[in-house]
Amino acid sequence: MNAVDKLPAPGAALRLVSGNHACALGAVAAGCRFFAGYPITPSSEIAERLSRLLPQVGGVFVQMEDEIASIAAVIGASMGGVKALTATSGPGFSLKQENIGYAAGAEVPCVIVNVMRGGPSTGMPTRPSQSDIMQTRWGSHGDYPMIVLAPASVREIYTETVRAFDLAETFRTPVVLLYDQVIAQLTETVEFPDIGDDARAERKWASGPREAYQPYAANEDGIPAMSRPGGGYRVHTTGLTHSESGFPTQNPEAVARNLGRLLTKFERHRDVIDSWQALDCDDADVLIVAIGISARAATRALATARAKGVRLGLFRPVTLWPFPETALRAAAKTARAVLVPEMNAGQLELEVQRILGGKRVYAMHRYDGEPITPADIAARAQALAQETAI
Amino acid sequence: MSRPNASNSSAVSEELRPTAAAAKAREPMNVLIVGVGGQGVIMVSKALASLAQSKGFEVKQSEVHGMAKRGGTVFSHVRFGPQVWSPTIPKGEADILVALEWAEGLRWLAYLKPDSGIFICDTKRIVPPFACLNRRPGAPLRYSRETPAEVREHVAQAYAIDATRMAEELGNERAANVVLIGALSTALDFPAEDWEKSLAQFVPKKTIAVNLDAFRLGRSWIAEARTRVIEAEAPATRIPVPAESPYSVRLEITQEWCKSCDICVKLCPERCLRLNAERIVELAQPDKCTGCRLCELLCPDFAIRVHLDRVAARGAPA
Amino acid sequence: MSSTIVDSAAEFDVRDYLRKEMMPHFLCPGCGHGIALRALLWAVHELGMDKDKLAVVSGIGCAGRLSAYIDANTFHVTHGRPLAYATGLALARPDLHVVVITGDGDCLAIGGNHLIHACRRNLKLTCLMLNNEVYGMTGGQVSPTTSETRLTTTTPLGNSEPNFDACALAAAAGASFVGREVTHHVPKLKELIRAGLAHPGFAFVEVLSDCTEIFGRKNELGSSAEMVLRQKSELRPSAYRDTVNTPFRSNDLPTGVLSKRDRPEYGAAYRKAAAAQRADAAAKDGARTGKGEF
Repeated sequence: MNAVDKLPAPGAALRLVSGNHACALGAVAAGCRFFAGYPITPSSEIAERLSRLLPQVGGVFVQMEDEIASIAAVIGASMGGVKALTATSGPGFSLKQENIGYAAGAEVPCVIVNVMRGGPSTGMPTRPSQSDIMQTRWGSHGDYPMIVLAPASVREIYTETVRAFDLAETFRTPVVLLYDQVIAQLTETVEFPDIGDDARAERKWASGPREAYQPYAANEDGIPAMSRPGGGYRVHTTGLTHSESGFPTQNPEAVARNLGRLLTKFERHRDVIDSWQALDCDDADVLIVAIGISARAATRALATARAKGVRLGLFRPVTLWPFPETALRAAAKTARAVLVPEMNAGQLELEVQRILGGKRVYAMHRYDGEPITPADIAARAQALAQETAI
Repeated sequence: MSRPNASNSSAVSEELRPTAAAAKAREPMNVLIVGVGGQGVIMVSKALASLAQSKGFEVKQSEVHGMAKRGGTVFSHVRFGPQVWSPTIPKGEADILVALEWAEGLRWLAYLKPDSGIFICDTKRIVPPFACLNRRPGAPLRYSRETPAEVREHVAQAYAIDATRMAEELGNERAANVVLIGALSTALDFPAEDWEKSLAQFVPKKTIAVNLDAFRLGRSWIAEARTRVIEAEAPATRIPVPAESPYSVRLEITQEWCKSCDICVKLCPERCLRLNAERIVELAQPDKCTGCRLCELLCPDFAIRVHLDRVAARGAPA
Repeated sequence: MSSTIVDSAAEFDVRDYLRKEMMPHFLCPGCGHGIALRALLWAVHELGMDKDKLAVVSGIGCAGRLSAYIDANTFHVTHGRPLAYATGLALARPDLHVVVITGDGDCLAIGGNHLIHACRRNLKLTCLMLNNEVYGMTGGQVSPTTSETRLTTTTPLGNSEPNFDACALAAAAGASFVGREVTHHVPKLKELIRAGLAHPGFAFVEVLSDCTEIFGRKNELGSSAEMVLRQKSELRPSAYRDTVNTPFRSNDLPTGVLSKRDRPEYGAAYRKAAAAQRADAAAKDGARTGKGEF
């Protein structure tokens, strides 16, 4: 066994690891005991690491025959009560969409890592991109709720992977961990935080007599208790629209009631789900909204501009979906203009425009496989600050 | 046409054994081989015919097979001698009857010569479908109930051999017919080595060894049987006749589940079901129902459950 | 009374294994899938399997709907993927007995890749493929097993694509247990499924079932009863015969256990290797601690 594949002890010394490696370590720390995947650049390192880590902790790694089989096996393992992960990139993420919808509809917890590379189609496998922002939210057909986390550093990949499992288990939902190729293959010095046992969320398991158990019955928190196979409940799980009993129904009232609960199930838990970073927003004239490597570039741009007396702020959604809109509105209070630098042809921009209706929202697009530089962001933001000066 | 030399013409040496000597007396030797499809009747007759021909006899072999690949009746007439006119053996003219299945053997007994015929029979029972026409569980089979001892009274010489079991013990149940060839060989005066050579041509190469063992076993069994007290020759295979179980049949029909597909009605062997006015299945002729469960098993909608309720036997102690 | 009634089916009541509140099921009158379901549940009964430990994963289509009627842990998943879901479930939960119910389209067309790799991987799973030659749920389109010349809603001129011999495919892909049976022979089908369930690796069982309402009607195959009876005489052509002008199922299509091989079961092999690695690592750690090193 390679020394690199040792599990980190809480509070252990600094380690130099890549983003994908940190994801694998975070998954094991979060209690993930099943991984199914298919080789794809630039996410394969996650699979390779877990193929060595999981057997150490009694887990199972399996390389499946294709991307669809991978997500299917992950959902299958999770239906068996085991925390499960798969990792992929754009083309594979597209292939997984139908089954992600299944996990959302049948409310089966699982975590899917999407390491963004250039697209469309095969695109630029080794070059970064941020063009799956909308797909992570809307990729599968039909209406469904989704949680997407967008870490921007290797350490954050570790902590957000743990949080992804916590959220998936707590809210019985697929959670996508979305980051770009730069961060995936970036190696940084990381001090692994003690995530504690509290972080290891367990899904709510069914209890009580079988006759009284309804697999999808709404309760006080809107998250139904799940039954573990072998526990005596013997329930049915289906991708068809189902009633509280778990069996298919097309009764309009039952559909409205159950789909309604599903679609709004995150709303009363936004305090737990929402996560963001707001930097220098209190007095910002220009607010930058960005994720991943673009946000890191913006951080640098902020420092450059502030040194010149230009008041820039940065809002970085860590929970990308559902978008932390209340926090964004608060962060944008003083901003005269909003700048959205993103490595695509305009996706995050749309959501920011929607939330900040009336504000002037400007976009910086780049889709040539190169990251947006701090200098570019600083220059554009400073220009905006001057143009919009009162 | 070549004729065998009449070298040993007075050799009606021992017992009643018809030998090639008898064939020389212009009467053909008649061997009837019978059994059930799949047992190897044709192979036995081919081995014999080939051997006889190699000894210079005129041979006629006539068979009926193909009625059913497996389970149907199969018979083969083998006649050899200086001259053979007719391909089939008339009733009462067979010198030897080799039967690979017990009831088939009995069926052909009338073909044996009454005074001298030799009956060599496997006690293996293959019950044909038409022997279970009454499908009521426990109903008696219409299979022959004669024991070897009873048969022996009607035949000059009878050997009831558990050849299938013997072959099974050798490791290949399918060699049962060769055990019988071994027995047959003792009734004809061809040398054992020539039999073995002939056999080797007709069995799959891989099974030559086991078949030769089977052949020798059949021969030695007959030799032993001749010295033994006759009752000990084969286990009695009296077929147990089960008393008819007193029971009544009750069909539990879940009407709401029946979709009127009609499978049960059409496939019921006794034709005792029908669809009622609402096109739901019902038992129209309860007295005909044997409780065979075909309707229950083939109902795609699980609408039929067959119950066999025991009723107290009339006056009989339980 | 001296004699006993010899009736092995007497003690099996299929209703003990059904979700009775879901009945009657939604399949068409005469659909062979119901008969296949009975055979499966009968085999489950005979093996004394614990319903709580039985997991049934099914795909999309008429066959996929069967799982909902079984009183067990049932998963009705996406089209073509039940084997992949079942692979995850069986690897994560080796204590469960995982059975897959799939149809010819689900298993051989959209799910063909999963089938060949499940055969190759040899994880302990029982795959029951109900072959009715057609996509019934969607109204009767041609499927990978539709016989040549057959009419479907998408082969108005008669099917001219050769059909798959699913058992030959599974055996070629390495399945360690392959068998085929017709729904007409329920006790034999039960025995075959039972042998598949008891097999310690991947078992592929093809059930030749009848789509009476759609495929039968379109091809004028007669009543449900006639279609069941036809299984005895006219079987569908196997894929590799050189003559393709046989209008019906050819009667040389073999049934029963067609292939059985002794191969290591994937899950057990993986767990064994993982346990050896853990033991090895623990021994090394112990040695280090003994020397007082970190």
